[in-house]
Amino acid sequence: MPSPSHPGAGLIRQGWISLALWIAFGILIEGFSAFRSPAYLDDAVRREMFRLAHAHGTLLNLVLLGAAICAHLNLIRLGPMTSLGLRSAVLLLPAGFLFGGLWHFKDEPGLAIVLVPLGAVLLLATAVYISLTLPRR
Amino acid sequence: MTPPRFPKPLLAWGITLLALGAVAAAIWAVAPDYATVRAGRADAGYLESGDCRKCHETNYTSWHATFHRTMTQEAGPQSILGDFERENTITYQGVRAEMVREKGAHWMKFTGVDGKTQRHEIVRTVGSRRIQQYLTKTGDTWSRLPVAYDLVQRRWIHLNGSFFYPDGTAYTQHVAEWNVNCVFCHNVKAQPGLNWDNRTWKTEVAELGIACGACHGPAGEHAQHALSPVTRYRWNLKEQIAPARLVTNPRRLDSDRSAMICGHCHGQRIPEPPQRIRPMMSVGDPYDPGKNLHEFYKPVQREDKVESAEGPHGEKVSFSFATRFWPDGSPRLTAYEYQGMTRSKCFTAGKPGNRITCISCHSMHDGDPRGQLTERMKTNAACIQCHQQFTTPAQLVAHTKHPAESTGSLCYNCHMPKIVYGIMAAHRTHDITNPRPEETVRLGKPNACNQCHLDWSANRVIAATKRLWPDAYKESNPGDQHFDEPEGQRSLFAGDAVMRALTAAAMTPATDATAPLLLEAMQDTYPIVRYFAANALAGRRPALPKPDYLAPARVREATLQTWYPLWPAELRQAAREARERLAAQRSETDVEVGE
Repeated sequence: MPSPSHPGAGLIRQGWISLALWIAFGILIEGFSAFRSPAYLDDAVRREMFRLAHAHGTLLNLVLLGAAICAHLNLIRLGPMTSLGLRSAVLLLPAGFLFGGLWHFKDEPGLAIVLVPLGAVLLLATAVYISLTLPRR
Repeated sequence: MTPPRFPKPLLAWGITLLALGAVAAAIWAVAPDYATVRAGRADAGYLESGDCRKCHETNYTSWHATFHRTMTQEAGPQSILGDFERENTITYQGVRAEMVREKGAHWMKFTGVDGKTQRHEIVRTVGSRRIQQYLTKTGDTWSRLPVAYDLVQRRWIHLNGSFFYPDGTAYTQHVAEWNVNCVFCHNVKAQPGLNWDNRTWKTEVAELGIACGACHGPAGEHAQHALSPVTRYRWNLKEQIAPARLVTNPRRLDSDRSAMICGHCHGQRIPEPPQRIRPMMSVGDPYDPGKNLHEFYKPVQREDKVESAEGPHGEKVSFSFATRFWPDGSPRLTAYEYQGMTRSKCFTAGKPGNRITCISCHSMHDGDPRGQLTERMKTNAACIQCHQQFTTPAQLVAHTKHPAESTGSLCYNCHMPKIVYGIMAAHRTHDITNPRPEETVRLGKPNACNQCHLDWSANRVIAATKRLWPDAYKESNPGDQHFDEPEGQRSLFAGDAVMRALTAAAMTPATDATAPLLLEAMQDTYPIVRYFAANALAGRRPALPKPDYLAPARVREATLQTWYPLWPAELRQAAREARERLAAQRSETDVEVGE
């Protein structure tokens, strides 16, 4: 178990808490489907955005946990900035989908969708940086 | 010498930007070019509904459920709704039509009295709500075949039984050329492509059926700009009006221009000036949604005639539209709703550009596709939008003199009665008026009161209206003794064919009082009158064999023999005498109405 001062500790805390939240959100949208909620099923934009939010939220938090484990095993180097970039991206991407679907224009996600490309670019840059700084074996 | 080393963070961002650049290049490389779609043609800039769907999924889905979409379709298992397997024949005037599927295609085979058979492959379908008609193609011409499928009654019919033509009309009367006429309103942006010199056709449309372009016009530039998310969000945030979005939105036009979009098809029209027919038939329809319809067309009125020395086939054309209207000029056929609405006080009393329009009541993307009305707009809420003085039950009863929950207090029933015929159904007039029972006396036009009070005479209705609304009807005068007859009976036998058909429709389902009259109406010489009479009778006794309105008289009579004993002989005798007496009073001038 990494110590609280280990760079992976924050990632693990955020990863598990977020994973729990996104799983709960998944149960919520399953419930919307099961109970035929018109606010979800009759709104194509919201449905798509919520599905993407759930998928990205769960998957990216698994990536976050994976990164924490890799850092603990010294398989990757996770400095404070890298860690911040990764954690921000994992928050921004699904949040963009979630809020873009919650409040949206008629056939277009809401303005919050702008968080998605921001998060995606951050995630890409972080992934590139991690791959450039892999420890030599 | 070792090469310079970039700081890792900088390198990471550099690689990220390169990757983003590659992504942008890939998007740019496969970006569609909407701005130049169909360039140089009459339908330049018109997109297909599939293109609109990419952004407007909600509107696409609601449109997809409409009968507009399926107005014209390529023939195939998905589009063909007629029965080609079991009840797939109809014999009419001795000609046996058989509808079959062979070699992966749909065919209509006609075997005449001489035993010779003609086969026509069905290549397109027209209609999907009440009847479905079928097109075959010969050379460069699509032709409507004379047999159609009645989707309501689930049976094959000959088109003589759908239009107002009497028995004995030629079998091929309704074999019409699609390129010349139907193409204009049943598709988007028609281009008949007639070469006037050699009379050949190269007909094209922007899209089969009544799709997005029919109401929203060319959207190529709009779609091109909308490829950029920045533009889209700028439009959304600023709520920019339609012209700024480079596409027509009927909701954002002034009310008159908005009505013209519907009037382009729901308002039969002739080219203005008449010579415009030549470029129309060659280049294509000059009208685009949002433009002034009256710059290109004149909506047909009762007094209009078409006179031309040279029709599309070099023939002389001479045609009057008078029979399509009641004598006061009010339309009595569908596809004239624009003329009806624009002559009503709701329109004429309003301020141009800001008055009643089609979408005041109808919604193209909401509600029941049968009529394109939301549930709310099927109620008095439609009229109360403007006439708020009739909102409460007490106000309503004081106005209508009928119980608030009764059909007599539904605005539509009195102000938009079903006195219009179209595609085997009675429809509400869009000439929104106050009931005028004296018009039945003066003009032979059905009135709203007698649509329900079929057992009242027109004179009794006139007296009642004078008593109940003395100010409104003080100048209303009764007719002679002919109008002392119960109006249902009088108009069923003494009216012209349209009046007789609408009366039979109003009698649906039959009652014990109207059934003997309807049995007599089965003797009418117009199949369409018999159609409504048979439906009214079947509505009363669905278990009995339904008289076939298209069958020869002896066959109909054989079926009716099972019906006659259900009502007392004296009632039937009285009905027969009424028919003979009243039929002698009517003008026997044929009403020939195609749609």
